Amino acid sequence: MSDRAEIVRVDDLVKDVRPGFGLRVKRILEGISFRVREREIFGFIGPNGAGKTTTLKVLMGLIRATSGRASILGHDVSEISFRRQIGFLPEQPYFYDYLTGREILRFYSKLSGVRREHRERRVTELLELVGLTAAGNTRLRGYSKGMLQRIGVAQALVHDPQVVFLDEPMSGLDPVGRKEVRDIILRLRDEGKTIFMNTHILSDVEMVCDRVAIIVNGRIRYEGAIDEFLDAGEPEADLVFANLPAETAVQLEESFGARLRGHGDRIELRIAEKDSSAALRLALDAGAVVISATPHRVSLESIFLSAVNEAGAEGGAR
Amino acid sequence: MIGRIWAMAVNTAREAVRNKLLYTLLFFALIMMLFGTVLSALSYVDRERMVQDFAFSSIRLFSVAIAVFVGVGLIHKEVERRTVYTILSKPLSRAEFLIGKYTGLVLIIWLQVAIMALFFAGVSLLLGAPLGFAHLAALALTAVELALVVALATLFSSFTTPLLSSFFSCGLWIAGHLTRDLRDHGASSASALVREGTTWMHRILPDLESFNLSLEAAHQLPVAASDVWFPALYGAGYVAAVLAFAVMIFERRDFR
Repeated sequence: MSDRAEIVRVDDLVKDVRPGFGLRVKRILEGISFRVREREIFGFIGPNGAGKTTTLKVLMGLIRATSGRASILGHDVSEISFRRQIGFLPEQPYFYDYLTGREILRFYSKLSGVRREHRERRVTELLELVGLTAAGNTRLRGYSKGMLQRIGVAQALVHDPQVVFLDEPMSGLDPVGRKEVRDIILRLRDEGKTIFMNTHILSDVEMVCDRVAIIVNGRIRYEGAIDEFLDAGEPEADLVFANLPAETAVQLEESFGARLRGHGDRIELRIAEKDSSAALRLALDAGAVVISATPHRVSLESIFLSAVNEAGAEGGAR
Repeated sequence: MIGRIWAMAVNTAREAVRNKLLYTLLFFALIMMLFGTVLSALSYVDRERMVQDFAFSSIRLFSVAIAVFVGVGLIHKEVERRTVYTILSKPLSRAEFLIGKYTGLVLIIWLQVAIMALFFAGVSLLLGAPLGFAHLAALALTAVELALVVALATLFSSFTTPLLSSFFSCGLWIAGHLTRDLRDHGASSASALVREGTTWMHRILPDLESFNLSLEAAHQLPVAASDVWFPALYGAGYVAAVLAFAVMIFERRDFR
């Protein structure tokens, strides 16, 4: 993974703002650094107000960083010409609602420098890709929130960019729409594109992202491959029994360091994966019934929550 | 670059064409011209001049109203509605965006002036009122004045709200029509401060009276080519300076 080219490079990015007219300065980004490599789906996750959208706006040249450096495909983000190679879907996008779906894609294709002879074909392809062929000649003011999100995805791809930046791409979509957008993202990766995705929907991140960075209070708390996160530590298993005698439960706890939790007549225990066969044998010999035995994966949610709590504790200590 | 500016301009023009406010103002302008015709029937002398005076004033006033009302929201609305996010993520500079928006609105306003001018010509012909080069020159300079008013509205729209932009634009339009008189009155003042102040005011603020040839048109007075070219060049220079200033402000903005 690491030998792949760096597509996005952010070093010590700081953004200060002055809320209102006072002299008070609020730091939104506190020197963040991360890399996005070629052909990966990078999830930039964090709670609301963490600095995700601010980072993305700096990358898109919509706001200027107070200090630090950000570059895409080796170009400083303040440059214009390289934007031919990037696509951007903002959060809750708004488009000219007096235009039809087809007209808006035509407009963006002109701005993006798509050659005249390719425009119509490209617009038709994209309407089909996002499932809006039938609504192509309807004005956007007649579109639902989900349809606007899809036309937003289409405009981000209209010039066939090498890197795509998506800010909350699944927001406002129903489960079917979310799956469709997920499929589009995976398809783009298969086509060799690099995708940077801002989101706080962790299940989507687990499903599509190769690497993630967690930002909390303007600081990157974790960055790495998603499998590294999820496979961190010793592998564990969750065993669920019925009719487990109390003395066997105590024995399991003492011998294997199992953590027990009771639900009525069911006992759930988490144990090191290497000890799971011995624990199962012991429980079965004692007359217990096995309800389930599954390998336990650390969820992204637990890592995310621990990052948020850690940041909260630091904030409290400061 | 031209292609991108043109794409923005065409889209802005399309937005204006689909805006009902414009049709309402155009409709009222045409009604006012007809009203002038009715009013002139009450007069025994100079009926044609009265009709033309009324029509010219209608064209100028309603065109300025359109320029200000649409112009003040031109950039502000894009930022407020966040349409600017997707547009500026494309290979388009902020200067190209702003100039494209400006060009689109100017083209639409000129189109409206052309429609009103055709109506004016029709009414004049029906009444047997004379039409000549002076009328064409007056309309051409009105078009230049409108381009300048749109530039001012665009400048204000690039950093403040439509309401404040309307105040500033209308205020400058009124001041722009008074600055020449103010300079002339100031010149006869005993105070050097007043003399210098009014002279500098005339130099800095747009001299919109230099675009006013309606008197020459209504009275069929001779108009020299330089009466058109000099104000036109002055207007073009002023528009360029105002737009450069607007771009400078817009370039520095953060879209939070």
